[in-house]
Parts: sequence; structure tokens; C-alpha cells
Amino acid sequence: MIVGDQKPLEEIWEMIKNQKKVLVFGCNTCVAVCHTGGNKEAEILGSMLRMKAKQEGVDIDIKDSGIERQCEHEFYEKAMETLEWPDVVLSIACGVGVQFTAEKLGNKPVLPGLNTTFMGSVDSPGLFTEKCQGCGQCILAETGGICPVSRCAKRVMNGPCGGSTKGKCEINKELDCAWQLIVDRLKALGRLDDYEKLAPIKDWSNERSGGPRKIVREDLQV
Amino acid sequence: MGEQAVAVKEDVISTVEKPGEIPPEWEPKILAFACHYCAFAAADLAGVMRLSYPMNVKIIRLPCTGKLDHYHILRAFERGVDGVFVAG
Amino acid sequence: MSVKTPSKLEMILSKGHLAVTSECGPPRGSDPEAITKKAELIKDYVDAINITDNQTSMTRMCSLAACIRLKQMGLEPVLQMVTRDRNRIALQSDILGAASFDINNILCLSGDHQSFGDCAKGQNVHDIDSMQLIQTVRRMRDDGKFLGGDDIARPPRMFVGAAANPFADPFEIRVPRLAKKVNAGAEFIQTQCIYNLDKFEEWMKGVRDRGLHEKVAILAGLTPMKSAGMAKYMKNRVPGMDVPDAIVKRLSDTPKEKQADEGIKICVESIQRLKEVPGVKGFHIMAIEWEEKVPEIVEKAGLYPRPEV
Repeated sequence: MIVGDQKPLEEIWEMIKNQKKVLVFGCNTCVAVCHTGGNKEAEILGSMLRMKAKQEGVDIDIKDSGIERQCEHEFYEKAMETLEWPDVVLSIACGVGVQFTAEKLGNKPVLPGLNTTFMGSVDSPGLFTEKCQGCGQCILAETGGICPVSRCAKRVMNGPCGGSTKGKCEINKELDCAWQLIVDRLKALGRLDDYEKLAPIKDWSNERSGGPRKIVREDLQV
Repeated sequence: MGEQAVAVKEDVISTVEKPGEIPPEWEPKILAFACHYCAFAAADLAGVMRLSYPMNVKIIRLPCTGKLDHYHILRAFERGVDGVFVAG
Repeated sequence: MSVKTPSKLEMILSKGHLAVTSECGPPRGSDPEAITKKAELIKDYVDAINITDNQTSMTRMCSLAACIRLKQMGLEPVLQMVTRDRNRIALQSDILGAASFDINNILCLSGDHQSFGDCAKGQNVHDIDSMQLIQTVRRMRDDGKFLGGDDIARPPRMFVGAAANPFADPFEIRVPRLAKKVNAGAEFIQTQCIYNLDKFEEWMKGVRDRGLHEKVAILAGLTPMKSAGMAKYMKNRVPGMDVPDAIVKRLSDTPKEKQADEGIKICVESIQRLKEVPGVKGFHIMAIEWEEKVPEIVEKAGLYPRPEV
């Protein structure tokens, strides 16, 4: 799922303080799982901002709402009326949702309430870690199911680098060395011999470098 | 490292609002969220026993305090409650 | 052993001499003398001089320009190149630039993470990794081709090196990792600083068991300690460094004013011992901001004078 981190309240306040009617708009899928951008978080953030406005003595009408997913047309149908009301929408979806909402609303400003951080998993309650960068050319079959693109700070394809110490990365002692994990996993799979296969020079054209990506499924188009 | 941490802490403290003068007559408004099965029952029993509790406490009964959400507490503060008491 | 390049380092190794290399870090400024003065100090005591490439991610004068300075002094530079800062276009382009000045040695590295340096908020590139950079240079040299497949007019003629850290984890893949670098095309190896000689010898045994010492020239890396403080720092703070307690203790037990001499002594003793290790083909002496001590170390270790080739 997509993991996001709510922006500091002060930063959000700076964005909205000169507005009259603000709608905090949640997205109840990925960012709800990480407790930062769901409809519940929209309620909380709305309340915090109303208190902030009161403290600052500023007259802003702040409401909250949300939909199931801000990245698909269908979910907006029932919300369009609500979205009519505000001067600006503070979307706490990921960057995808913010942009999609902005497209839906034409000339109404849509502001981001989150910093979209990564695609990751819920390792344990309250702990989210990055697992994929959408490089467009998956190599997990070669690396024992552990991704060096997203989990190695230098995304080395033939690791580990010389900075791997006691299973941890050179940049942070809390961070597992992805290549230590790969080696351990290859060993567990009885495939340590594969370690010596040189990874081919990667084709990054399917990644961000190749420009914005899209997928067309003609069979699904209407 | 230690010195830096201390510096940051002081910096944070300096931005915290200073408490205002408290008038002598002032009493805080307290909102209590009480579980139907224990804390609320206790309050009920207190009533039966004709025990009184301060006037500045208002009780909201919940089927279970597990129902309590961040939002309920924030709404209470928004509406001018000074303290929230949760019992369950 | 026939040589494939005009590299002096390759020539010395092919004749069976123990090679001696050292390194100079370029300045954090544009004064060419910062490089030429360091080079003057050591030039008669080493066969080739590595020029580091923004080591520890601190922005410095570029390795290529500093290598050109050495070349102009008639010295033999080893161009260090990290994959952190350049994509495959820039890497190949800089290799050609270096080749145009007949810089004949290259050391392929991934580079320290940028968070250690002065541009922690910058991007890193890592379009290819160090292993793939080795392959790239070999392809450019041996096949005369760019990665894109086109022919190179006057291909580079570089002796291709790589780093090896016998002390990083996981230890079990340290030898396979060297095999991988050899397979990628590495012709010489400069190792991480060696303080734990027992562990290094264990690694070399693994290297010999696979016959890798015959396919690649291993230069043992050494960095003299200036003080007990430096030893502790290296032990505790530098990733992938293995400094045994005995070394720290030996320096700590030495009076402060004599610690530097003791550090040199440890370094010389290490070289003496490593000379006896089969498969060690030379030494890479990294006297960090202490280049003036390189001649003394080389002399005391019995590696002076350097052979004429």
C-alpha cells in the first residue's frame, strides 16, 4: 500500500489560514491503513485546525469528509456536492489522490495534507517499511524475494557494498542491510550459488527515468 | 550530541504557550466518558447512595470505552471542555 | 603474464614485483598545489597514486582533474570512480576523458552514501553498481564498445581495479564476492584497511582455495594510525572496519607523544607479515592526510627503492 506521513500542523495551517471555507478530505484506503489520511484522520485534523483557528482568532469554517478512494472516479459520485461547498480542499490522500481530486474540481485549489512517502507494508502495528519503488522491471526472482532497489540505500544490484556491518546498513544501524537479507534468504532457499551470478545492467527505462508511465488495457476500456 | 539534544529541548519549551492567570473563582469543566458496565454503574450507585460529586463534571455514558475515539475527545476540547476523564 | 594496457602498475605486477600504491585526497578547493605537493612527497616511493572520488561524500575537486595533474607531473594515477554521482553517460564520458590523457588505471567503486557528506540532502545516482562499472570499463576497453553498443574511436586502455573489504559482513560471501568481481573483469584489487591480520589471512586462504589470487592482483590496504583516538574512531565509527582490541590497547598503552610512531610501527609490521601471505601482490598505503609518512613506511617495510619498468 501507499504510506503517507501527515504534514506538520503549522505547515498545513500556513496553507489554509487565509481561506474562508476549508474541507479536510480523507481517503479511506491506503493512507487510512497507516492512520494518516483516512476519514477518521480527516475528522481529527479538522478538529485540530478548528482549535488552531480559534487560538489564532481567525474565522475559518473547517469541515471534514472523505471517500473510499481518491484515485477512482466512482467514489466521487456521492461526494461531489460536499466538494462544492469549500473554497479549498485539503486532501489527505497520497499524491495520487490530491492530483485526482484537483482534476475533478477544475479551478478549485486542492492542497496536500500529507507527504506521500513510500509503498510499503505494515510490519507490526505502527511500523511501516518501504518494500517497492515500482521500477517497472521486477527482479525479486533473482534476489530471493527481497528488493535491492527499494531496500538498499545505494540500490546495488550486486551487493552488499563494503558498508554492510553485522547485518546493518552503513547509513543507519537500525536499518537492515538488504543484501544481508538476500544472502540469508538465498541460503535458506539452498540457492547461495546464485549469489555469484552477475546481475545484468538494469534497464531503468521502465522506471521514473523513462518519463511518466501508463498502462493501457484496451479490453477494459469502455 | 548531548548538548544539541538539550538545545532542541529548550527551543521546544520556549515555543510552548505560557499559562495565563487563573481567576480564583474558576473551575474547570470536566467531561467524563464512562463505560455502561462499570464506571457509569458506579456513578449510578453513588447517586442511589446519595453521594454527591462536583457540579462541573458532566458524564457521557458509552456502551464501552473502547468506542471512544480521538475525535470525541478533540470535539470536547473544541467545545470548551477543560479536561476529559475516561473511566471504563 | 602478458600485459593488456600501457599501465605501469600492470607492468610492475606482471614482472612479479610487489607493487606499492598510495592515495591522495583532492582538496576542498581549486588549488592544484594541494594535489601536486602531496604527490611530490610520495612519488618516488610508490608505483601509482590513487585519487579519491569525493570520498565520504564530501564535495571535493574532481578525481579526473587531479589525475590529470599527476599525469602532467609524469606520475601514474589511478582514477577512482564511484557510481554514486554519475549515470552511465557521465561514467563512460569521464572514462573517455581520462583515456584522452592516457590515464591507464581505474578503480571502480560504489562510493559512500551521500548522507555521510556535505550534501546529505542530495540525490544519489547508482544507475549501475561498482560490479557493473568494472564490466563497463572492460567492455569499453576489450570490445571497444559503449554500453549502448556503438563503437568507440580509440577505446580506453585502462587496467581495471576494484575494492574488496574482507571484513564486511556477511563474511561467508566475502570470497564469492571477490570471485564475482573477478568474473566481472577486475584485474587488481585494493583492499579495505587491514588491522585484523588473522581474519585477512583467513580470507586469503579462501581466495587461494578458489585460485582467485592467480586471476587478480591483490594489493593489501593499510592505513597507519596516528593515535589511539583514531584507532577507537575507526573501530567504532567507520562502517565495515575491523580493528582488533589489541591494536587499540597497544596504542592506548603508548604515551601520547609516541602513539604516531607506534602507529607507523604497527603498519610496517603488518606489511612484513603480509608479504609472506601467498597471493598478496602488493600494498596500498592509505595515509589519510599523513602522506609525508608514506616514504618512511615504504622504506622501513623494505619496499624501497621501487623497481624501474
